[in-house]
Amino acid sequence: MSLPRRYWENFMDFLFPPETDGWLAVLRIGLGLQVAIYALFLRSDWHHLFASTGKSLVSRKLGEAIASFDSPLIPKLGWLITLGGYAHIGEDAVLSIAWACLLCTGLLLLLGLFSRPAAIIAWFLHLCAAESGGLFAYGADNFMTTGLFYLMLSPLPDRYSLDHRLLKVELRGPQLLGFWRRVLQVHMCFVYFVGGLAKCLGSGWWNGSNLWRSLTRPPFNLISPDILVRFKYVLPILGISICLIELGYPFFIWIRKTRLFWLVCILAMHAAIGLAMGMYLFALVMIVLNVAAFGIGMSKRQPLPSEVTADGESTEQHTGVSGRPGFGTSPRGG
Amino acid sequence: MLSKRVHAAWFVVHFLIITAVCFAGVFSLIAAGSTVLPSALDKYARKAELSATFFLGKEATAYSPVRRGIATYLHAAGIEAGYTFFAPNIPGYHKLTLELYYEDGRVEYESPHMSGKAAGLRLDSLLDRLADNRYEPIREVVVKMLALSIWRDHPEVKKIRATFGAVTPPGISDFEHGKGETLQPMFSYDFSLREEKQ
Repeated sequence: MSLPRRYWENFMDFLFPPETDGWLAVLRIGLGLQVAIYALFLRSDWHHLFASTGKSLVSRKLGEAIASFDSPLIPKLGWLITLGGYAHIGEDAVLSIAWACLLCTGLLLLLGLFSRPAAIIAWFLHLCAAESGGLFAYGADNFMTTGLFYLMLSPLPDRYSLDHRLLKVELRGPQLLGFWRRVLQVHMCFVYFVGGLAKCLGSGWWNGSNLWRSLTRPPFNLISPDILVRFKYVLPILGISICLIELGYPFFIWIRKTRLFWLVCILAMHAAIGLAMGMYLFALVMIVLNVAAFGIGMSKRQPLPSEVTADGESTEQHTGVSGRPGFGTSPRGG
Repeated sequence: MLSKRVHAAWFVVHFLIITAVCFAGVFSLIAAGSTVLPSALDKYARKAELSATFFLGKEATAYSPVRRGIATYLHAAGIEAGYTFFAPNIPGYHKLTLELYYEDGRVEYESPHMSGKAAGLRLDSLLDRLADNRYEPIREVVVKMLALSIWRDHPEVKKIRATFGAVTPPGISDFEHGKGETLQPMFSYDFSLREEKQ
């Protein structure tokens, strides 16, 4: 076999590893919870954020104009409001419907009912809201969009969903489960490597001052500075640890012996961000993405493709699949 | 096999785009001189940033279908921004103070606010954006809208003076010595609301 051919095959083996759908269930349930909480958290301010006049804090149209400058094809709430106008539905009503739909899609994802349509609608509505309110957006919105983008493209439903259990929807495209998990895994490696690299380039992460500043600046100042001062000698250690954990993530998360330790460290970091800084949505989405990418089934032996069946039972004896982690076997459903 | 090749091709393109976005972000920080790297590297970082943004089609005209196509994909996948959150250093925060002048000479102080904490966090995100030079063209419009939102609750106000400033919180040793945060005003606007009403 020629060298390029061997590289190509190795690359394809890396991209399409045998995988079960446990991670997809985690991603679906986690993002469903995330979308529902996002909608509930913004319930009282939804119209303030997205109305074009009257109740709005900053007109939605300004955010949409900025998004349109990048590309007029980027989805916006304004599209839905224009559509509603054709049916003589006012802006307020359309915004309320959009909010209700977003909450419903979150709950549907949580239950696994109509998983794929729910994932597509959740991605679209959240994207519309994130773009129309682009001036108010922050990191959690990007990660939500990315998570929902991957979720809607993944081979839904999973075996734990009501789609499969109640509606008997066949599990589709099991050969793609490994691929989409790889996409998520590689993406997380990019996130932490770049985040860690950028932090390492700032002096404040080495002496603890950045940690102090991030924990004392409003609106993240949930912990009293007096308490933080008592632990001032720990701050440089924590700052350096954050840099190393993030920078080392794309290397040590792939090594079986260090994976659990690295994952626990990353999850603890995000839990601490959520609790100590009040960034609950950001913390939750990062925890969900990490657990889905590296938390489920990664420490066990690699499953064979034949294990992914509609009823969740092993069919190895029927398919006679060998140990080669290939995906050449035809998708199995029913 | 064809399906696998299509997926593999998408994977490569997708992560090339993410690489370009991420490194454009990192090089931009280096070029801005906000890192510990020597300033001699700034110009190279600027060139590298331009190369990355060129790859993303940002050097093309605003109407270029390539530029628009890439931009749409970036936003749809949530990858339009690099992952340089809280890096390389944590800046101070920003404050918008609105002085409300009444007909009878009274003066009150207000700040734009949201009812929920989650939305409040987003408002702070907006204020931090306003300080960025890239948002300079829309600063006045945004501040005017924020002032109008306050005016709706206080319709009898005659004039609003909006002052936007950067707040630098004290460092650990400054805090231990009893120093508080310092406010550096950046710009201010006067809005005469009676005229606005007319």
